[in-house]
Amino acid sequence: MSGGPENVRAARAATIAFAAATVGGIAAAVGYATDNTGDLLGLGLAVALTGIGFGFVAWAKYLDLNEYVQQAREPLAVTAADREVFAEERALTDETLGRRRLLLALSGAALLSLVAGFVGPIGSLGPKPRGERDRTAWRQGSRLVTSEGVPVDAASDGFDQLVTVFPEGAVGRDDSQVVLLRVRPDLLSERTVEQGAVEGWVAYSKICTHAGCSVGLFGIDDRPPDVIRQLVCPCHQSVFDPVDAAKPVGGPATRSLPQLPLGIDADGNLVATDAFDGPVGPLAWDEA
Amino acid sequence: MTESFSGANDSVGRASASEPPDDGVWGREPPEENRVPDPSKDEIEGTSATSAEAPATRQRRGPMERYVESVLGRMGGGSGAGKALRKVFPSHFSFLWGEVALYCFVVLLATGTYLTLFYEGSQSEVVYDGSYEPLRGTEMSAAYASTLSISLDVKGGLLIRQMHHWAALVFVGAIALHMARVFFTGAFRKPREINWVVGVLLLILSLAAGFTGYSLPDDLLSGTGLRITHAIILAIPFVGERTTYLLFGGEWPGTDIIGRLYPVHILLIPALIVALLGLHLGLVWRQKHTQFKGPGRTERNVVGEQVWPSFAMKSIGLMFMTAGVITAMGALFHVNAVWLYGPYDTAAATSYSQPDWYIGFLEGSVRILPPWETRIGGFMINHLVFSAILIPGAIFGALLVVPWIERRFTKDDAEHHLLDRPRDAPIRTATGAAAIAFVSVLFLGGSQDVIAGTLNISIGHVTTLLQVGALVAPPVTWYVTYRLCRVLADRPGAERTERGGAVRRDSSGGYHSVADPSTDPDGANGDAESETGTPGRDVAHASRSSETTT
Repeated sequence: MSGGPENVRAARAATIAFAAATVGGIAAAVGYATDNTGDLLGLGLAVALTGIGFGFVAWAKYLDLNEYVQQAREPLAVTAADREVFAEERALTDETLGRRRLLLALSGAALLSLVAGFVGPIGSLGPKPRGERDRTAWRQGSRLVTSEGVPVDAASDGFDQLVTVFPEGAVGRDDSQVVLLRVRPDLLSERTVEQGAVEGWVAYSKICTHAGCSVGLFGIDDRPPDVIRQLVCPCHQSVFDPVDAAKPVGGPATRSLPQLPLGIDADGNLVATDAFDGPVGPLAWDEA
Repeated sequence: MTESFSGANDSVGRASASEPPDDGVWGREPPEENRVPDPSKDEIEGTSATSAEAPATRQRRGPMERYVESVLGRMGGGSGAGKALRKVFPSHFSFLWGEVALYCFVVLLATGTYLTLFYEGSQSEVVYDGSYEPLRGTEMSAAYASTLSISLDVKGGLLIRQMHHWAALVFVGAIALHMARVFFTGAFRKPREINWVVGVLLLILSLAAGFTGYSLPDDLLSGTGLRITHAIILAIPFVGERTTYLLFGGEWPGTDIIGRLYPVHILLIPALIVALLGLHLGLVWRQKHTQFKGPGRTERNVVGEQVWPSFAMKSIGLMFMTAGVITAMGALFHVNAVWLYGPYDTAAATSYSQPDWYIGFLEGSVRILPPWETRIGGFMINHLVFSAILIPGAIFGALLVVPWIERRFTKDDAEHHLLDRPRDAPIRTATGAAAIAFVSVLFLGGSQDVIAGTLNISIGHVTTLLQVGALVAPPVTWYVTYRLCRVLADRPGAERTERGGAVRRDSSGGYHSVADPSTDPDGANGDAESETGTPGRDVAHASRSSETTT
């Protein structure tokens, strides 16, 4: 039966495949032993696995098995006899279990109380929110420090350079990350100045109000006619305008980045003159 | 060798012969003489069903036969096992996607188990002192450090890790293709609605498995993904804030989330997948596989190859090939090279950050939906509720009820075991294509920054284009697909989905199709056969047909 030329070809293919697979497996072992895990181990295993798989399929083709066997489908539909049995069982259930309605109701209540009883331990997964989200580490008078802990001298020439700063003593604290930027003071909008810009320095929460990524990109588009400065969130491409209170000007964000009011202390370093007045970043539905 | 092969073939012939005659119960069966059985083996029909072995081997029973019989003899499963081995599965290349997904899952379990032996699911701070120079002395979580160790210090660990990641990517892809096949051929119709729902749940679980696994290395990219997830959950009305505290063990980021995702990823989700997979396959087994229309194929039968040895050999072969391809990918292509991203730092994020491909539609939804936000009283339904909860919710909700939506429109309550070609159901096909177009636009939206960077145009313009695309592409796709189906449906060619007869070249150089009688038991192609099926033209063919239909 295995006489046809295709079948001989399939047998040859299976032979080669299994032989190659054997070589592959040995190559993988050699690869591991010789520390060649980058290529030889993986490719050897790949050849072994693919060879075995190909070999089996070629072998099946060589057998030239009948691919056109017919089998009847058994009917799936419920028959009249089945229906009768269900009806009888149903009647029996009503008669036996249904007679004790009180027991039925009580067993239901017992099971429900079990569910209620197990809600408690789920609550242990995390504390109740107690307004932590409303408070960052920023306080009135907090000095701005870089991630290395260095204060920012208000006289330094940081024009058009973005720096990430934290309140002194809370470097790296997630909800207190702030971007600091200096631009020519006359570029800033009136409300930006009112909300606490000083000598061209502006500071905004670094957490995107859309989905919480760090707004770490600062770009200047100096193609005529206007020079446009942008703060961009790298995750979903929300764009904020740093010279106008970080209002959203593009992308999916709907709310401005909260602005941190700035001042200068006796040493000439930048400080916060107040805390943020609410949660920063993305909000829960009742925090708006 | 030849002997054992012919033995195997005997069992095929016998199996066909011992099939119960399937006429009588059903009125519309093809006449007796058109069925496949092999009368030359008729004498075996009398043998009892428990004899899975050929008569020749029964006389000299080896250890294998004795073992099988002793096991079956204690379970009372003799005839059932024989029946199972002879069960018929139809074959078509599009039926393989589900199998590929299954075998990806096998690879995932095997490689994943290996990874758990090294991975440490903890956010406790450690100072890295492994072999990767650029990160030496850096503070990082134990989770990230152990992932670096698997990748760079465990011999062969990177291969296994990359195989695991590639297998996850292929897994979801195979599920998506499998689902598309089931949808476009109408295989979800009665009686398979439940299995469609089980399949959608498996898809959702596979996404959850992918997402939780992606988050475990605690690198910069996955940490950013978790942060976005936190914001999405936070946005849920009523329960959002409390839920984030429960999941993260307090205020973001906390120190618990990695340690919690770990058991979810390696225990809870795989257990659910295994359970639903069992149900999924059990239903396929019980209801029997669907088949494409073709000669001899009816709603009352299933035509194909038997489980043993034909289907089993090919399927096991496919398993090894799937594993082989994934191993090759793991060996050749870097995926998620976490050592380049660095540990998660809440104050950092990188541009061009994309999630794994199967989360792309969600990422795109979050990126290209216009900045909508609704305020009612002091409350706010924000952008993420629309883009990350309602839109994906609508997509998966629609998928879940597909069988019932179709039934509502078609009023078709009949059982279907014969598949439609996509063109046979133009409205369904057009609707599916439109849905794919919509999801594809969202998927593109997930990397709109890369598109803009590559084409050197502004991100805003790309976003606007995609927003328009999300509205325009589905209806246009719907109409084009509908017209295409209509045009194609007017063409002949129901038999094209069938494996046609062999084509032979004769001595004068001409080509002739030789109708294969075994594919044509009811004689639908009888005319063609008499024209071209000249006896003696094809020896191999003749020998085969003599075995199946003499």
